[in-house]
Amino acid sequence: MTSHADYVLRIVEERRVRFVRLWFVDVLGVLKSIAIPASELEAALEDGVSLDGSSLEGGVRGSERDVVAHPDPTTFQLLPWRTDAVVGRMFCDLRLPDGTPFAADSRHALRRMLGVAADLGYTFQVGAEIEFFLFAVPDGDGPPTPLDDGAYYDLTPLDVGSSFRRRTIEHIEGMSIPVKASHHEVAPSQHEIDLHHTDALSMADAVTTFRLTVKEVAGELGVYATFMPKPLEEVPGSGMHLHLSLFRGDENLFAGEPLSDLGQAFLAGILAHAGELCAVTNQWVNSYKRLVSGDEAPEHVTWARHGRAALARVPVARRREAARVELRQPDPACNPYLTFALVLAAGLRGIERGYNLPPEGEGPPLPESLREATDRFDASELARDTLGDRMCDWIVANKRREWSDYRRAVTEFERRRLLRLL
Amino acid sequence: MSEAWIYAPASPAASETARLLAELGFTPHRVEANGALRPRPDARQPALAVLAGDDWAEVCARLRDDELLCAVPCLVTIDPEDLEAGEVLDGHELIVRPFTAAELRARIARARATTHGVEPGDVVRAGGLELNLATYQVTIDDVPIDFTHMEYELLKFLMTHPGRVFSREALLSAVWGYDYYGGARTVDVHVRRVRAKLGQEHAARIRTVRSVGYRFDA
Repeated sequence: MTSHADYVLRIVEERRVRFVRLWFVDVLGVLKSIAIPASELEAALEDGVSLDGSSLEGGVRGSERDVVAHPDPTTFQLLPWRTDAVVGRMFCDLRLPDGTPFAADSRHALRRMLGVAADLGYTFQVGAEIEFFLFAVPDGDGPPTPLDDGAYYDLTPLDVGSSFRRRTIEHIEGMSIPVKASHHEVAPSQHEIDLHHTDALSMADAVTTFRLTVKEVAGELGVYATFMPKPLEEVPGSGMHLHLSLFRGDENLFAGEPLSDLGQAFLAGILAHAGELCAVTNQWVNSYKRLVSGDEAPEHVTWARHGRAALARVPVARRREAARVELRQPDPACNPYLTFALVLAAGLRGIERGYNLPPEGEGPPLPESLREATDRFDASELARDTLGDRMCDWIVANKRREWSDYRRAVTEFERRRLLRLL
Repeated sequence: MSEAWIYAPASPAASETARLLAELGFTPHRVEANGALRPRPDARQPALAVLAGDDWAEVCARLRDDELLCAVPCLVTIDPEDLEAGEVLDGHELIVRPFTAAELRARIARARATTHGVEPGDVVRAGGLELNLATYQVTIDDVPIDFTHMEYELLKFLMTHPGRVFSREALLSAVWGYDYYGGARTVDVHVRRVRAKLGQEHAARIRTVRSVGYRFDA
């Protein structure tokens, strides 16, 4: 047993932790959890915990598949929002009973890609700006009600939003996720919280933890939070802007004017493959309603130094170590593990094959719909090289099913336009 | 495993010390102290330095000046004659030859306590911030603050070496103890996480010393 595991066992004893939740995500990045009593923890750290992995494959398969969840003791944290019993959590790596990685393990897919980067001497740093909406708990099926255009103002003298952000920040900083900034966003009831950059695996865990924490805090305050990319037609959607950089040791390899040659090739790689990766970075039918809205969401595969409509922005860095590329395409409902793995793979391919950066502001359109994005993802050699055929096939099957369900839906749009006209 | 470096010329006494250290679970390496301070050029740091040559005082001084070795616990082994000759400096943990494994173990524990300025089981304090070395518990004004293992080890190292500036490289080596991938950025990221958990008042105790590293102000 490692010293990390010993530390966890000691803390669990000292802090009288009663349950430990073992966390992992399915291929869409949706968080799953198994709670074990503290008495089972030592065995779980030693041997892992068995579960049925078929539920993690995007719901395509019906047959059971034995998978073992191995908790990663370096991720042990106490959950800050539980007060009745002390509860801890750990992220897990998923393996088959023979010890080989489980093909649907997103965390492993990212680890493997980070290993490829590490072999080249690179570490991949990611910062994230995450947007989301807070709504009043709806009565029945009506549209969501924003909080801060009157709905809740009369009930409380304090802005629910600001006490919400304060509590969220306390909770996530208590779980080793430092916050850089937070503010109210453009749309009513829309908020943004910016997480400090860190290594990509920690950031993917952080995004997953953050999404749950935001929902928990919203629940505590009697409202609800959503990371749905475009919940309201008339106002901008929610994005997740990623700040990306590659380091070798202490050296930021993107530092240059405005970006080093290596940084330009990395960015060129991301742009060249952006359309293929949309089925992961923007994985829902609804994601494409954000990408068409104009506002701050990109519609074309472009880069720019300034302005807010480009897919990627190269901010002016005041210090060399802050040089970075800001990717504005993903939304906060993506699978962060697979998104980071694919973005890194695309950037490294740009470096490896010496891609040239296209002129500022010029580029083809992004896929218009989940259907088009899924077709392009299905045919993407880069995605298959990075995630493996089985993972890609599971995602494609899930997305095709979502599209087929969507095709059958009769929408509010159609009724509004046609019900009385025809 | 944890290494113990023995600074001594080859001798039966040095061999015997190596044997006893191995019995206690250390991997002993002998270093000819007249040359390098390391058994191999790429060696980082041992868990323990045992000074068994006549030049021990000089080696001690050189270890203190080495960025990666300055915090390694030191144990001086001497002959009874030297003890009687009064060639002993204050502030060094001594063991007189010949000695048993049990005696050696006790002296090593004391050497560690001397280096870290605390007894095992002690509580290190800085204002309302307390770190309990026996239970791994950290509290601020008696309210527990929870850290991950590496955050705890980083804070422990800084709190047990107050007032000294450590470079990122030295912290990486002392706290992570191996060539951790992620490089010195890892130190910055962990310092940020620890500071965020400590809150404003105590976060300021971990001072960034520009273009050098970090220092803990007790």
